[in-house]
Amino acid sequence: MNAQAPTDLRTLSYAEAIREAMAIAMEADPTVILMGEDIGVYGGAFQVTLDLIDRFGPDRVMDTPISELGGAGVAVGAALTGLKPIFEFQFSDFAMLAMEQIVNQAAKLRYMLGGEASVPVVFRLPAGSGTGAAAQHSQSIEAWFGHVPGLKVLQPATPEDAKGMLLAALADPDPVMIFEHKLLYKMKGHVPAGSYLTPIGKALLRRAGTDVTIVAGSIMLHRALEAAEKLAAEGISAEVIDLRSIRPIDHETILASVRKTGRLMVVYEGVKAFGVGAEISAMVAESDAFDYLDAPILRLGGADAPVPYNPDLERASVPQVDTIEAAARRLVRREV
Amino acid sequence: MPVEVILPKVDMDMTHGTLAVWHVAEGEMVQKGAALFDIETDKAAMEVEAPASGSLHHITAQPGDKVAVGTIVAWLYAKDEAVGAAPLTAAAKQDAPPPVTVALPADITPPLSAPSFPPPQAEALAQRATPSARHAARSAGIALERVRGSGPLGRVQRDDVTAFLQSAPQTPATAPWVPQSGPLHISRRKGQGLPLVLFHGFTADSQSWAPLEKALGPQQPLIRIDLPGHGKSPRRRIAGFAELARMVVEAFDEATREHDKVHLLGHSLGGAMALALADIRGRKLASLSLISPAGLGPEVDADALAGIVRASRAESLAPWLRRLTATPDGISDDYARAAMAPRKDPAMRAAQADMTAALFPDGVQAFDLRPALQRIEAPTQILWGRQDHILPYRHALAADGDFAIHLLKGAGHIPQIECPDRVARIVQRLIAGCDAPV
Amino acid sequence: MTLPDNRPFAIRHFAPAALREALKKMYLIRRFEEGAEDSYMRGLIHGTMHLSIGQEASAMATCMELTDNDKITSTHRGHGHCIAKGAEVGRMFAEFFGKETGYCHGRGGSMHIADVKTGNLGANGIVGGGLPIAVGAALSAKRLGKSDVTVCFFGDGANNEGAFHEALNMAAVWKLPVIFVCENNGYGMSTSTARSTAVTHIADRAAAYAMPGVTVDGNDFSAVAFAMHTAIARARAGEGPSLVENLTYRWRGHSKSDRNRYRSKDEIEDWMTRDPIARFRAELIAHGILDEAGAEAVAAEAIADVQAGIEFARSSTAPSISEVTRYVYAEV
Repeated sequence: MNAQAPTDLRTLSYAEAIREAMAIAMEADPTVILMGEDIGVYGGAFQVTLDLIDRFGPDRVMDTPISELGGAGVAVGAALTGLKPIFEFQFSDFAMLAMEQIVNQAAKLRYMLGGEASVPVVFRLPAGSGTGAAAQHSQSIEAWFGHVPGLKVLQPATPEDAKGMLLAALADPDPVMIFEHKLLYKMKGHVPAGSYLTPIGKALLRRAGTDVTIVAGSIMLHRALEAAEKLAAEGISAEVIDLRSIRPIDHETILASVRKTGRLMVVYEGVKAFGVGAEISAMVAESDAFDYLDAPILRLGGADAPVPYNPDLERASVPQVDTIEAAARRLVRREV
Repeated sequence: MPVEVILPKVDMDMTHGTLAVWHVAEGEMVQKGAALFDIETDKAAMEVEAPASGSLHHITAQPGDKVAVGTIVAWLYAKDEAVGAAPLTAAAKQDAPPPVTVALPADITPPLSAPSFPPPQAEALAQRATPSARHAARSAGIALERVRGSGPLGRVQRDDVTAFLQSAPQTPATAPWVPQSGPLHISRRKGQGLPLVLFHGFTADSQSWAPLEKALGPQQPLIRIDLPGHGKSPRRRIAGFAELARMVVEAFDEATREHDKVHLLGHSLGGAMALALADIRGRKLASLSLISPAGLGPEVDADALAGIVRASRAESLAPWLRRLTATPDGISDDYARAAMAPRKDPAMRAAQADMTAALFPDGVQAFDLRPALQRIEAPTQILWGRQDHILPYRHALAADGDFAIHLLKGAGHIPQIECPDRVARIVQRLIAGCDAPV
Repeated sequence: MTLPDNRPFAIRHFAPAALREALKKMYLIRRFEEGAEDSYMRGLIHGTMHLSIGQEASAMATCMELTDNDKITSTHRGHGHCIAKGAEVGRMFAEFFGKETGYCHGRGGSMHIADVKTGNLGANGIVGGGLPIAVGAALSAKRLGKSDVTVCFFGDGANNEGAFHEALNMAAVWKLPVIFVCENNGYGMSTSTARSTAVTHIADRAAAYAMPGVTVDGNDFSAVAFAMHTAIARARAGEGPSLVENLTYRWRGHSKSDRNRYRSKDEIEDWMTRDPIARFRAELIAHGILDEAGAEAVAAEAIADVQAGIEFARSSTAPSISEVTRYVYAEV
């Protein structure tokens, strides 16, 4: 994977970076608390909160009952009244049990109350396939929340961003959902020490190119970068943009790139239909960048099926390096 | 069968034209596209091209004759074609009634069986092209149909348009040209009261004021100045707006030497000139009228400017001219042909192309006259068409200063041609107010 | 030896001025809702509204001991809670009329009426929506070391939502200062508690979450006030949550579109004879807190306040159309 840090730079895993962000925030602000299932002595299903209970105690690292709706709602109520809770869903799939509190309450309270209240809650959601956990523990549902005014929806792809985005989310007065890809937790990369904020709503150009723009977030960024490297060997220059934020979405970075390359591919793990790709494609089609398109827009998304168990099926159900590479090649060679 | 030569409609509201001169004598051979005769309308003089190759016969209109639009004024016979008596329809002559059209009463609709629109043409539908290719073709003023597509199912890609443009003969606009020296061209019309000094817009010339001059009436004295590289002024190489303004100030001083005060009117780039001038020669100004002036904001329809400058024939000029008016139907093909006539000189187009690059780099107005506008003390007004597609009228709304704004409904970028009477009335009101004894 | 004081709890416990104010607010709730209903029929209010006429004692007595620092979460039938907690009727009417001067700047309406400054975190359009939020507010008070309590109003319908059970369980596990107040008016829309709820009394469910649960006559001001006094004391002492069930009745339908096919006229008229306001007024007069003339004056003040409130709302300006997306996110 990319983001290989020079040896003299400090290197942390994605999970360690998130943990460091939580620790920094809790040291600095006594109103920051963690809530979630098995996040205490167990350390969380993915060991992200490991040892934080030792440092901050059970009052600030709270194991909740298996009550996603109630737990999320308690976090919302606490955020409304002076705390800054970070609520961990054990799997992002379980957020569906808490849709009421996320969508009807957290996202809308500020508006319903005419700006008289804030809900500075942060939801952390381990997402994505590739672990053999099948249909109910592997989904990528971030786009669902992109449809909800009042929420902010982030997707860090690197350890550095995972830390910076969590700290930015805590500094934000509105509810923020951070989708963390389970396969990235062990990924290592350079992480600056101390506190820093990754701006919310800003995409990042990760690789410059001239022939095709590939927009991808989370783990798909790494697959897109790997595909771009292979394409470069055959003379195809792909520009890769790390989407980073689904809501708000960074129009300008994407449009500027499309104006430059004239071709656009959107790669995402969620089901292809009605997803992030549809939003980005429509946004380009509605903008002045439309006039710069020199080929149809391509979306590469998840299969129109629940995430399957069989490892080959599972792999085939979401975009991989070879499928991204092949699609970009066809696009640039005018085969679509 | 001989080919008829008619007096074409070359202007929006033209019903008659005066035949000025025949370039070909009766019985002489002429090549298709060569100049055949000139006509004068109340707005402009223009050349009419031969519609076919052949020998000219049965001329029915002589120089000075006023002829209705559509009237047959001669016939062209092919090389071996026997010339007999004039075909019957040639009887139409000066003062002949206009072609008869049957007007349907408004409440009668055509029978349902009559096809109201032609069936879609398969070829037209088959033209596939990417948005980028369409954009490139539009900007270059070429018909997409002329480009061979290399994409799936013959889809035209951006590269195809680029390749087409490279293979096409060099357009004259990019040809080298030789700068000339000498003063800018000044023309005058005598009258009573303070003269009105006119600055035309980019790619136009002093002839373009004809409709407004007529609307202003014969009493209004006029001084017209052709910008460098335009009309009868020498082609000059200019580095930027400041240099252009210097030349214009020089010409203005020369032209107004005998007057203590003058009224000033500028259109588009000429408006920017007038503003720059007003800033330097404020004491000489009785009033300032600006029509769709440049220099009040960055936006400009650079595609249209480039398209007009580049066009070497009426077909490629027409689509761009149609952006100048409120609605595309304001410009007929004949009008485009007439407008192309004075633009035939490739050196002039090349000079204007270089001026485009100097004044509008990257499609932006690279000069800002808003500070000048704020400083002007003479009575000032801005006229702007609400449907101006070249320069947005909101520039006037956003600017600060003590001026009046007239927003003209139904007018585009050239209200002085689209609605000259109305523009004349507004200009005269300001002039009258300023000329009145204090 | 002193004789035991047999007067009702409220008369014994609260100062006469506080009792007079309580009566005034109960009248205010009643007249406010009547005024809102009238304005609705005149077309001045759109959408719908859920009236709590007949439940005023439950709202008012529950809030008697609460300060502005204590929080409440409210329900779709929340006008009474809002007034009892201290809101002004003028800004409430303005909200109902969709005006910028309303508590929610015209973005919330009747169903989201709130007054965050007096501790009302808002009425909720989702049945059971406020239950976990109340627990969260109580968690804040505990973590931040405050003695504030949170009162969570909910209806009998909400007690069958999963959120009710999850919220009560967590409140008990973490011993949080929250009082769950069920206003049991007998019907979740059209479905009676007998047909929807397995236990006879909703307070019986408290046992499942190891907290005290009491059922009281919700139209008896003093009974409600006493139950709340006990529960609030327990919460402030850090001993955890309680469940108080106020049996009451709404005289009006569920909402403005209710055709009342599920209740008999006799049933409604029977409950109307148990008017909580008349009952409390009689009690105050009987114990010499007020005389007839004093009570009439209180009632008249409420009418004047409501009239002034409607006037304020009518003359207020509407929000600007261009600000339709304002308040979605914090303004930076």
